[in-house]
Order: sequence, then structure tokens, then C-alpha cells
Amino acid sequence: MSETASALSDSEKAALKLPPKVSGEKPDSGHMEEFGVNFARFLMRCNAECGELAEYNMAGQQTVLMSGPAAQEAFLKTLDKKLSRAAAYQAMVPVFGEGVIFDAPPERMKTQLKIQVDALRYQNMKAYAAVIAQEVQDWIAGWGDEGEMDFLDEFIQLTLHTACHCLLGADFRYKMTDEFKSLYHDLERGLQAIAFVDPYMQQPIFEARDKARARLQTLISEIIAERRANPEREYGDALETFMSGTYADGSLLSDNEVTGLVIATMFAGHHTSSGTAAWTAVEFARNPQYTGAVLQELEELYARDGELTFENLRDLPQLEAFIEEVLRLHPPLVLLMRRVIEDIDYNGTLIEAGKTVAISTYGSHRNPTYFPDPERFDPQRPKASSADMMWAYIPFGGGPHKCAGNAFALMQLKSIFAALLPKYTFELVDAPETYEDDLSAMVLKPSSPCRLRYRRR
Amino acid sequence: MALKITLDLDLCQGHSVCLGECPEVFDVVESDEGYPQVILLQEAPPPELREKVEKAARYCPNHVITVTEA
Repeated sequence: MSETASALSDSEKAALKLPPKVSGEKPDSGHMEEFGVNFARFLMRCNAECGELAEYNMAGQQTVLMSGPAAQEAFLKTLDKKLSRAAAYQAMVPVFGEGVIFDAPPERMKTQLKIQVDALRYQNMKAYAAVIAQEVQDWIAGWGDEGEMDFLDEFIQLTLHTACHCLLGADFRYKMTDEFKSLYHDLERGLQAIAFVDPYMQQPIFEARDKARARLQTLISEIIAERRANPEREYGDALETFMSGTYADGSLLSDNEVTGLVIATMFAGHHTSSGTAAWTAVEFARNPQYTGAVLQELEELYARDGELTFENLRDLPQLEAFIEEVLRLHPPLVLLMRRVIEDIDYNGTLIEAGKTVAISTYGSHRNPTYFPDPERFDPQRPKASSADMMWAYIPFGGGPHKCAGNAFALMQLKSIFAALLPKYTFELVDAPETYEDDLSAMVLKPSSPCRLRYRRR
Repeated sequence: MALKITLDLDLCQGHSVCLGECPEVFDVVESDEGYPQVILLQEAPPPELREKVEKAARYCPNHVITVTEA
């Protein structure tokens, strides 16, 4: 790959090929319609037809899908300085708030993201592990010996509780969850496809979004003021970290920016976790032959330590392998995008500034070269056995912008199932093939209803 | 035999798991490039720190740390 520091000259550009175009383009809308039916399958078609680079058209926005470990590594790592996330995610601006993350100047955005990650550091994680274990116990306390529930609904609720608790603390969690839920719901509804065309149109959903954003800031400002008045108390939640973070000049984040980080963290972590938890429950019900090894490892843990802790949750290789296989087949974020800000010469092909580049986790995880018989659920298949595999298996992305919540996400999933599996067995209620990937929202989840029957062991 | 530690700083986001496991060898410091970054306090730690160093490598969420024999 050419690693030139300056932009390409016209004669250099003329010597390069252009990415092959995907068939089936329609006037004006391009591939929008086919994309909308099932974008994960559409992206697999793009790759099958055109190979490593495949250009499709989203109503005028030319997008180049990059497939395979080498191209994915380039997207995630080596080309990073020529790619912009901010330009690709402008629909998030009114949700996160003005001046927050993708709307902040690059230096401030970097600091905000750093402060967001600070809240996920080692010391905080120990406190979160205890919160999650407690929330899970409270959740299953009323289950009884057997029953039937929609586990997607259940996990949406549970992970909202854990997120609220870890982000904003116990007081907020036990007093304010209902109002928070409805505000968050209005913010989410403000992110329908139309927001990616123009998030500032006159629309009832956008009015509700802006009202919810303002109300949430009022609530969070009240907690911030109360905490600043009582500086001796410690909370161990993310808000505490966000409130104490500073820019290079020593100034604190504004209430608007703190609110924005809370919202951004919810959007990054909530549905990604609930969808994966629901799929994990379904796969346990569908693949009971793999439960034995996981159970044995958990029995050993409880016999040795008596309870789940941040430390012992890290040593559960069987459960971890099971969850990793769930993330391979059902990666919550299917499509990752960047805007090209400087012309790219990718192995002799020109990807021009202004185009969007994309990678598909879903497609990569079903590439038979790296994952033979890809639709088969097999927790034992290798996932990190070589450098190529590292860039083929990318449920959390990779490189400098890898999902900073990956350790939190895995800890939470392990905590949930380490508590559930020794107590209950799970069975499908509906026919196995009716549990499918639902791609109608931004985040992949199991289709509704997602009913399972549980019985005490 | 002493240990040799290799860091892939492109992957480090400053999660600080290594610092928690083995503060004799790892520190995490502020960086101009955004995320805090791991630094080594000892280039070739003695073998008695092997277990702690290996834990730091194993539990690093971003696989930044590789441990080999010096």
C-alpha cells in the first residue's frame, strides 16, 4: 500500500484503477432499496460479486465496502488518518448534543473520548462488576421454578438497569429509572433512517428528541450540582469520572458535555449488550451439547470462591468461547463506516476523498476461508489463531478506535450467564428456525418474539 | 531468565488492567495522542514477576502486551 503523506497528484490518480461497481443500481436511489431489505445480506452480495473492494451507491453517497482481513486492517488501522468517523456519524449530533464528540473540534473530541474510556478503567470495572451481579440477582429473584418470557424484552430491561446504575449511580437508578427510560426512548426514536439524511428537519420525532435531550440535561445537572456541593462522597460510577475529567487547559467538562457522554455511552453499550445477551440465551437453548463444559467451569468457580467477582469472571474460558461464537454469528454492529478525507491509493485502486468506506463484521464472520461451514454454531472454532484471523474476527472492530467497552461488555455477559446457567435450563418455545437476526434497527438483535422457557435445575 | 515485553501501542486505550496486575512493571501515563498509554518501568523484569506480567498480558482487553523470554 502506498504510504504517501501528501494528497495524490492528478497524474498519480489517473494511473490508478477505480473500485468495481456493484450491479443492480437504480437511478437516484442507487442500492438504497436492496440495502434496506437486509443490509447484511446485501453487503455479502457486494463482496461475492466484486471481491475485496465493492462500490455501491446510497442515494448519491458512493460507498466502498472493504472485505477480507487485509482490507479490514487497512480500514481499522493503517488508513486511519485519512478517514473520518465524525463526518459519517453526523446524525448522532443532536442526540449527543452540540459540541459533543462528533460535533467537537478534533482536540476536544479526543479528550472527551479519553474521559469516556477513563470511566471504563480497571478501578471502575470492579465496582461495575458488583453492581451487575446485584442487578442480576434482583432480576431472577422472582422467577420461581419455571416460566416463559420474552428474553429480548427482559435483557433490554436488565441492561438498561445496569447501564443506568453504572453510569449515574444507585440513587438515580432506584428513583429515576422510569423517567430515564422514556427520555432515552425518545432519543432513540430520533435516530431512524431519516436522521441520516437530515437530522434537523421539522419532524415530531426530532422535536421529541430535542425535548428529551434538554430534560435529561436538567436531571443530570441537578445530580452534578448536588455532588459538587458534597465533594467528600465517593460514588464509583461513570458520572463521577466524567465530572472530574479535564481538558488540557484544566477546565472541566460542561453539564452539556457530561450529559452527552452519558448518552453516547448508553448508545454504544445498551442495545449491543441486550441483543447479544438475548442471542446468547437462544444459542444456549438451541445448542445444549455445549452447556456441559460451561457448567463444569462454573461449578468449579462457585466451589472455589463462593461468588462471582471481577477477578474470577475473567477466568471462564468455556463461557467466553461460547459468547465469542455468539458475537461471530450475531455481531451487534454489522456495518462500520468512515468518510474518506484524503484520496487513498489502496494497492493500485483509487478511493477518492468524499466517498464513504465501510466494513461488514457480519460478512467477515461468515467468510468460509476463515470460518469453515460458517453458519454452524461451534464455540471451539479458532478465532485468534493468526494475524489474519485477528482482522477477520472483529465483533468490536479493532485498531485505535476499537470498542473501548469490550471488556465491560464481556464482563457483563459472563456475569449474567454465570448467574443463570447453574440455576436454570433454557428451551426454545417456538420452532428453531424462527429465531432469526433482525436487522431493522441499527443494532442487530434476535427477531420478536424471542420466547424461551426456563426450568430450575 | 529475564522476560522480554513487547507493546503494540497502536492498540492501547489506557484501560490500566496491566497497572492493576503488575505495578512493578507497567504504568499508564497521559499522552498527547488522546488515550493514556502504557509504559514499561522495567525493560527486562526478573522471572519472579512472570506470573503477574503474564496476567497483565492475558487480561489486557486490547491485547497490547506480548511476553517472551529475553
